[in-house]
Amino acid sequence: MTPLKEQLRERDRRVAELGQYEEKLELKEGDPIRFELLYSKIVQSVTSAHEVARLVSASPMSRELGEIIFGLYTPEGDAVALSRGLLIHVHTMSRMIKWMIQHDYEDDPGFAEGDHYFNNDPYIGGAHCPDQMIVTPIWWEGELVAWAGGLTHTPETGGSEPGGFIPFARSRFDEGLFLPCVKVAEKDRIKRDLEVLVERGIRSPVFWLTDNRAKITGTQMIRAEVKDLIRQFGAGFFRKACREYIEDTRRAALQRVRKVLHPGVYREVGWRGSVMPGSETLLHGPVTMTVARDGRLVLDYEGMSPAGKHPFQGTLPTIEGLVMNIAIQHLFYDLKHNEGVLLAVELKVPEGSAGNPPSIFYPTALWGITYGAGLASGQAISRAYYANGYREEVHATSALSTAYTAGGVDQYGRPFGAHNFEFAAAGLFGTAVMDGLDTAGVEFNPEGEMGDAEIWEQILPPVYLAREIHVDGGGYGKYRGGNGVLSLYLVSGTKDIDVGGFGAAPIYSAPGLMGGYPAGALYMWIGSRTNVRQLIAEGRPIPSGEGEDPAYPDFVRMVGGHWELIPGHNRIGRPAREGDLFTAMTGDGGGFGDPIERDPELVRRDLENRVTTAWTARHVYCVAIDPESLRIDLEETERLRRARRDERKRDGVPAPEYKARQRELLLRGELAKPAARMYRDVLGSSEAFRREFCQFWELPDGWEPVDPDREPEEAA
Amino acid sequence: MAEYPDELISDLLRGRLSSQEIGRLQRHDKDVGRARQVLRLEQQRLGWADRILVLLQEHLYVVEKADRSRVVRCDCGQEFGDYRRNWKEAALVRERDGSAGQVYRGPRIADPDWTVLREFYCPGCATQLDVEVVPSGYPFIFNFQPDLEDDKRSAP
Repeated sequence: MTPLKEQLRERDRRVAELGQYEEKLELKEGDPIRFELLYSKIVQSVTSAHEVARLVSASPMSRELGEIIFGLYTPEGDAVALSRGLLIHVHTMSRMIKWMIQHDYEDDPGFAEGDHYFNNDPYIGGAHCPDQMIVTPIWWEGELVAWAGGLTHTPETGGSEPGGFIPFARSRFDEGLFLPCVKVAEKDRIKRDLEVLVERGIRSPVFWLTDNRAKITGTQMIRAEVKDLIRQFGAGFFRKACREYIEDTRRAALQRVRKVLHPGVYREVGWRGSVMPGSETLLHGPVTMTVARDGRLVLDYEGMSPAGKHPFQGTLPTIEGLVMNIAIQHLFYDLKHNEGVLLAVELKVPEGSAGNPPSIFYPTALWGITYGAGLASGQAISRAYYANGYREEVHATSALSTAYTAGGVDQYGRPFGAHNFEFAAAGLFGTAVMDGLDTAGVEFNPEGEMGDAEIWEQILPPVYLAREIHVDGGGYGKYRGGNGVLSLYLVSGTKDIDVGGFGAAPIYSAPGLMGGYPAGALYMWIGSRTNVRQLIAEGRPIPSGEGEDPAYPDFVRMVGGHWELIPGHNRIGRPAREGDLFTAMTGDGGGFGDPIERDPELVRRDLENRVTTAWTARHVYCVAIDPESLRIDLEETERLRRARRDERKRDGVPAPEYKARQRELLLRGELAKPAARMYRDVLGSSEAFRREFCQFWELPDGWEPVDPDREPEEAA
Repeated sequence: MAEYPDELISDLLRGRLSSQEIGRLQRHDKDVGRARQVLRLEQQRLGWADRILVLLQEHLYVVEKADRSRVVRCDCGQEFGDYRRNWKEAALVRERDGSAGQVYRGPRIADPDWTVLREFYCPGCATQLDVEVVPSGYPFIFNFQPDLEDDKRSAP
């Protein structure tokens, strides 16, 4: 057995037997100042790498949006420290290093100083083909003492559709070029033949290739800095300290859970949907979170839909990364961000599920249901905070992310393919104490940017006619969800372009919490044969967004042509012509609390800022306000709200009565296909869910839902 | 490990803090006595004789009654039964497929073949206590069963 493999096995044994990463924190206790000083210098080194490397890349994803992260790892591949940035990938490089060790890479091809290994196989580490990482070993006096790693998200992978997010991928082979743990540089020199592979393998290779230079720049910076630190602190101190940082986090994380979360069992459900034509299926992403009195946190995804031939599933490393990401942001934000976080949380992801597919052939381009379940875990944590009175940490769900994709020949006459990624500035969740922030961020990259419109216009041929706050996008509530962005694009400067989009399914996109509504469904509009250029030439008004009525938006009203609505935001790229218009949106956050408890003054402020409409003010918030003067009629508001409560008492039915009706519907098999397929899949794969389902509806043992895909003759 | 004055925490509970003040609470180390402090403040505000054991969610509390039973109670006084049973079983329910355009308009209404909205109201005060996003036929989601330290009784 190779030395590293032995070391990794010993690490696993230690963790399994002792339940600890390191038995004694001798350095932390014996020399705390030196201990913390070294850690701050390690964090400085990964942060410097992040800041410098993003400027080396020509990809807007790294450069503008900050979809990039760097980390330092132990020889066995456990994360010691991470930079800011694309937080969801805190764990993925760790997985990659361990995979190489387990597969005897130490013997062949070997881990020499100056070797740089690349991976974008999500079953090894990452969420999907665009997540690309490079790691390099750090040697000191003949010993591999650490690894430096960097990860970027590239906007093009050479898949069956441009842009890497392939909404209709049926298998891994639709997703693009995978290079699983391939040595891309030796002696710090990038291998030319592998660059040619990328140049000829994908549509816009410049992003991928310059991202590689960025990552190699960053990892070399970390390597140099670590060697300097070893000179200053000594190799023994460095090695032991790295292990203690992880154990320190693990212990602090347990203590944090014990302190802030109320013990109990929590349950939330996230949803996504596969929109594969002919087999549209809702996907189930439940989570049961148990907070034990001793601080153990168990997240169990039993009941998750089984894997299928669609791209809305993720890999085990993805769900691990998501949980670390959520836990770091909502619970362990001020601890040392490293492997210790994951050691404090127990994860149960059923084998064969869409969060742990049975083989590598299942595509993961949109890893949607793992994201849905991951965000649901954040809601469970929120409830546990609420129960202990920490309202400032309680929130609904953040946005489901969407954008457009395009490919063809760009405005410079070059072949191109990429996705836009404004969704790094989606609407955030409503919280228990304030509204969600508009156009703020996404949970997987809390510091992400949307990128300047002018930069996107350099990268992709469509130009912006509008980039507006998505009015009324956030879920309604006492505290509303943040509004995302809706952009209106004009196809320009090219005669060869396919425009598509990716999203989820026509479902409510971000659930609300404790009485708050979810954000609405996502959608895309495509306008062809429009007269917009004529309007511009004649100096007549052109639309600047959706306007007051989403059912009949300004762009449809003001611009002639044929308009097509794409519910769910998924569209295979189809040819567009100069003068065509289309929209894309980033997604909005869920709302918190009963909307009729919203302070009328907040509604007035939203109207003043034009982020809500008079219709919503009256119909949802029951606030009587003059749309011109913005004067609130408090008496009439009170009357409207009383009337809404009366309506609820009139239209709401006692739960037992509601259940009896629903049971009848189930027994008659009256379910639409996307839901019926979900029940069939999940009841067939999860005994626990079947028990719970049959018990709730008082169904006999062995009850089977009607097969929605059975031919009528067969059924007869 | 700051302990905060009652006024500040009352303002937090009533939504009267500015985003700067909320930010300050978020940045500081968490105060260990918060749960007890919040229970005390809510007990005072509601003036109930029965002891509040835990804040279940907006408007809902688990209280211990004189007969030692522990039930979910709305701040309007409506009771929902034993806390180990999902309170939603005692609520008013309304399933909304959204197509009537009462809450969402146009393409923001989700396709009811996929998901609907299931609203739960308090039968006493008609407060909207929860909105589930679920497909038709989905069991009520039991969001939270607190682990109460001294409860050794068997489930109902």
